[in-house]
Amino acid sequence: MNEILLEARGLTKHYEASGGFLGRGGAPVKAVDGVDLIIREGETLGLVGESGCGKSTLARTILLLETPTAGSLRFAGEELTAERAGELRRRAQIVFQDPYTSLPPRMRIEDIVADPLIIHGTVEAGQRSARVRQLLDDVGLRSMDARKLPHELSGGQRQRVGIARALAVQPSLIVADEAVSSLDVSVQAQILNLLKDLQERHRLAYLFVSHDLGVVKYVSHRIAVMYLGRVVERAGSRALHERPLHPYTGALMSAAPSLHERRSERIRLRGEPPDPARPPSGCRFHPRCPIAQPRCAEDEPQLQEWLPDHEASCHYALGEGS
Amino acid sequence: MTDVAGAGTLQLQPVGQSRRIGRRLRRRKSFVVGVTGLTLIIGAAVLAPWLAPHDPMQQDLMATLLPPAWVEGGSPDFPFGTDALGRDVLSRMMYGARNSLLIAFFAVLIAASLGLAAGVTAGFSRSSMDALLMRMGDMQLAFPFILLAIIVLGVVTDRTALHIILVLGIPGWILYARVVRSRVLSEREKDYVTAAHAIGAGRSRQLRKYVLPAVWQVVLVIALLDFGFVILVESTLSFLGFGLTPPEPSWGSILAEGKRSMIVSPWLAVLPGLAIMLTVLAVNLTADGAADVLDPKLRKGVFRRRRQQDTGRQTVTADETGAVAQDDAAGTARRDDGPLLQVVDLHAEFPFDERSVYAVRGVSFAVDRGKTLGIVGESGSGKSVTALSILQLLDAPGRVTHGRVVFDGRDLTRIPDAEMSRLRGRQLGMIFQNPSASLNPVMTIGSQMVETIAAHQAGAGNRTDVARAALADVGIGDPDRVLRRYPFQLSGGMNQRVMIALAMIARPDLLIADEPTTALDVTTQAQVLEQLVAVTHDHDTALILITHDIALVHEYADDVIVMYAGRIFEAGPVRDVVRQPRHPYTKALLDSVPRADLEPNERLRAIPGELPDPSKPQPGCPFAARCAYVMDICRVEDPPLIEVAEHREAACHLPALPDAPPRAPSEVSV
Repeated sequence: MNEILLEARGLTKHYEASGGFLGRGGAPVKAVDGVDLIIREGETLGLVGESGCGKSTLARTILLLETPTAGSLRFAGEELTAERAGELRRRAQIVFQDPYTSLPPRMRIEDIVADPLIIHGTVEAGQRSARVRQLLDDVGLRSMDARKLPHELSGGQRQRVGIARALAVQPSLIVADEAVSSLDVSVQAQILNLLKDLQERHRLAYLFVSHDLGVVKYVSHRIAVMYLGRVVERAGSRALHERPLHPYTGALMSAAPSLHERRSERIRLRGEPPDPARPPSGCRFHPRCPIAQPRCAEDEPQLQEWLPDHEASCHYALGEGS
Repeated sequence: MTDVAGAGTLQLQPVGQSRRIGRRLRRRKSFVVGVTGLTLIIGAAVLAPWLAPHDPMQQDLMATLLPPAWVEGGSPDFPFGTDALGRDVLSRMMYGARNSLLIAFFAVLIAASLGLAAGVTAGFSRSSMDALLMRMGDMQLAFPFILLAIIVLGVVTDRTALHIILVLGIPGWILYARVVRSRVLSEREKDYVTAAHAIGAGRSRQLRKYVLPAVWQVVLVIALLDFGFVILVESTLSFLGFGLTPPEPSWGSILAEGKRSMIVSPWLAVLPGLAIMLTVLAVNLTADGAADVLDPKLRKGVFRRRRQQDTGRQTVTADETGAVAQDDAAGTARRDDGPLLQVVDLHAEFPFDERSVYAVRGVSFAVDRGKTLGIVGESGSGKSVTALSILQLLDAPGRVTHGRVVFDGRDLTRIPDAEMSRLRGRQLGMIFQNPSASLNPVMTIGSQMVETIAAHQAGAGNRTDVARAALADVGIGDPDRVLRRYPFQLSGGMNQRVMIALAMIARPDLLIADEPTTALDVTTQAQVLEQLVAVTHDHDTALILITHDIALVHEYADDVIVMYAGRIFEAGPVRDVVRQPRHPYTKALLDSVPRADLEPNERLRAIPGELPDPSKPQPGCPFAARCAYVMDICRVEDPPLIEVAEHREAACHLPALPDAPPRAPSEVSV
């Protein structure tokens, strides 16, 4: 097994609620509430969940773009603190969802990609332009694109620029936050393939955040499923698909439209995700869970290993008898 | 135009940006007039020492109050006449322009610099600095500006230009600071600033290289408008006697002096007044033009306005009628037999800056009652434009240029607008991607539903009961609670269900849903779509489901149309099309979706290249450049949509698709 690159323990990010009397009083929104995760070198960890589950906040907190409320982060064996964020910026990068807002609209492509090189001074000024062309070539852009402005490129090409900017510091981890979600299907496949090629070439680790279980399955070695600020299931990609242990994972898989079968029976969830400022008692999923028992309303299940290397936080992960 | 661009139907290749801006500015006549006027005025001011016929201070008591040269008694030596002290009015006005414009220029410069600095500081620092600066601004705005200027200038005995500049300039900062601050706040939240943070840019670099370039233009626009305002205020102050100390001329003081001789020589007051008015007008025209061009929202290009042609909608020729019998505009034939909706050779285009975007190019299909038709396509495929064309809802200047839309025996492209809008309320329904934009934010769901029910007189009995039943129909468990809520209090999925319930109240024959679940989560999407398909099926309503997701269509539709570059590439029963695609694009699209059985090291068979530019149709098949099966003929001849099997149509020169493409996927993938 590969070396551990990033390790989060009890990572928590709460947002103070505004409003209420004198701007106080509301319960904090627990966007990320005590998450443990491990990303290994050269490996992809997929992070799946629906909107509001805290997956994007987790992604940004891991990069210290948001200051964690509690918990610890270790990168390459060393404890990460806010003071050491600068070092992290040379080792870990991010690619965003929206290729239209993630590039500065008035900078040329070459300047966008060159800026990390200038900031970190990793490449001499004379070599910079050659390095930029090489990075653009790496992500499948032509060198004639270097002089263009972002709005002169298509969505797919812009996303490639975002990837080139992330690659410029030669990171060992890239967080891809819904990086292909707003692309057309045919272009999405190109970018997914590119991410896989780059992983092999540069031994990159990815934290691949997405709401699309199919895409996550394709790129990830391991998958963590989030619900309301917590990780509810964690397993190898294949194991998770063959036997989802948490009923929420099962519901997610069953809801996704399929090209192979027409499902007559779906696992239906009741209602909508609750307000993260006021999570339900006991298991956070119990008000919507198809197999909930009275115990679930009181007793909060912890993430535990039910099968080898396959954890879930459900009292009935292996069926009602367990 | 935002609608069109937002729908993803346009992808223009921009020409050089500065050239385009220049061209657009030149096309605006008001901007050209403004700049020309401003140039003449500034030129006259700058060149005053050389151009002015006389010394502005030189008195000639022998020739006081001469009228302008064109009035009887005027002298060509003094084109604009002389004032009460016999000074040349033209020369005084030229020198006065120097003072007025210089004061305004520096006052604006001071206000803009202070405002930019304050706005950026306030917007970028999350600290109490923001609150402090903004409260200072509020306090200043609460105090009358002119009064303040008069008090300060009244105290100063020997007023120079500098005093006036400071008094006019410093209080102006708040105007700039407020706008700059709000722009900085909105830019700061954008991903590219987070990205700059992530690559390690410090705060000053984030500000300097990323945020400032996106906000400074707004200062330019405000400054131009402010310039006109400051000229007015300066003139007002001079007029009131708080301007430059006499005899130094400025437009306001010339006006004030002129006032005294108003009866004898009205020109003395009229001419400087006219100069002030024309200058401010020129400045405002220039500022308006600059604002339009510098506004990033308009940068993608402007629509070319096109006169509505009388024949615009009636260009269908007799031989286009095809399968549809010749029915006149109010045709009543074929109500019960034949499909509910038949679209025949539909063409739609958007006239743009220099060229037209051909959004839909020859689309024909039919939908039966009670059936669900899926239309699948990527950006620019024309799927949304097709839907809007059916409903005759294309935003001007987009228009249907050719073809017919026969619904229930009548050609919708020919019926009068009033009748069309009645049809849209009753027989035709539409659901959009973003339900909260379609619902009225200040009305409860209940009152919106009751209003719709009243408009349709749908159902008997209590309207609230009808509303309750309609909500229950789309799977809402506690309709009473939902009826009392406002749209913002409900989730996206719940709002979309309300939209479906609203659309179904009129019991439409055809419902068009454009990406109805794209903004929703997967689990919600499944619930909403199941309800949508069930409710339309129960009421024998035909449903057109427009989406980019072929898997969605596979699960919920009966038939599918695959669109690309404004054309139909393939049509048929959705299961057959997915199991055995007959067009290379359909096959490639299916291969692009990550499948469960892919091995970890396997790659997706991605479609190489980019979607084609809809403003530049190439000869031949629009997919030729990206196709794995491409042959020579494909680059020359556009294949028609033909029947390839029973109920199956495809537009491809290949009679049948071989299992494996002739080129290995590795060569094709990028």
